[in-house]
Amino acid sequence: MSVEVEVDESDLAEMVEQVWESYLDPEGVSPLIPTYDENQPSEVHSSVSITGSWTGHVVYASSRAAAQRAAAAFLAMELEEVSEEDISDTLGELANIVGGNVKAMLPPGAQLSLPQVVLAPEASARFPNTERISGVYGMWEGEPVSISMWQSSTDNKEEGA
Amino acid sequence: MTPMRAMVIDDSRAMRMILKRIVTKLNFEAVEAGDGKEAMDLLADMTEVPELALIDWNMPNMNGLEFVTKVRADPRLREMTLVMVTTESEQSQIVRALAAGAHEYVIKPFTEGAMIEKLALLGLVPTGANS
Repeated sequence: MSVEVEVDESDLAEMVEQVWESYLDPEGVSPLIPTYDENQPSEVHSSVSITGSWTGHVVYASSRAAAQRAAAAFLAMELEEVSEEDISDTLGELANIVGGNVKAMLPPGAQLSLPQVVLAPEASARFPNTERISGVYGMWEGEPVSISMWQSSTDNKEEGA
Repeated sequence: MTPMRAMVIDDSRAMRMILKRIVTKLNFEAVEAGDGKEAMDLLADMTEVPELALIDWNMPNMNGLEFVTKVRADPRLREMTLVMVTTESEQSQIVRALAAGAHEYVIKPFTEGAMIEKLALLGLVPTGANS
């Protein structure tokens, strides 16, 4: 059965800060500026699913420009060198890193899926029977980026082995 | 001087690129593998075993823990230094990896400096390499 999750906005914000410090903004000059706007638009997104002691999804979503910038920073490339594959790989890894850190805060028995990347708006792939329980929403160099958690509203009876 | 070799094992190409960039900066020659099985296959064909392997945990085909266990069971690979690089940050998982034979454990996200520090603690950063 899914348990009440104890990962809140401040936990997510801390993870986001670590990701920025490690990969996207190691020099500390362009942080994610909070907007608190959970309806901000996105053009691409990636996600990992967690099953077991808690069931839901962790989703990284952004504009295409922010995704391109993230790939350039992550892979130490010039913006114009970034390919679709670079964007896809980077988005997948960002979801994996945040999802892995979320999983670490859950009760034992949670399992993380491999990441899924969709080069389309987050709104195009809402997860069925879930509700958003937490999120960090912001602008990165003028482009929207969000990290959110979606909890399954149904008990997880068959998973968690 | 013959450069040391490092094997970077992660199913994420983006993460392999980051790790490869770091070890190359430290004068390692880097070899990449997308999962533990591919890494074992590459090792089987190598005449000289890499000094270092940086290993993700969650990968298809053969995960990092299985890879560590297999390496530790193979006398030919005994000298390899094994570093888990993963989002698996629960204490129980760290203990499992170290018990299986990993030498060090780096949790993602990590800064380049933190990774170099870990490798330095293992004696794998040649003097003047990180300049």
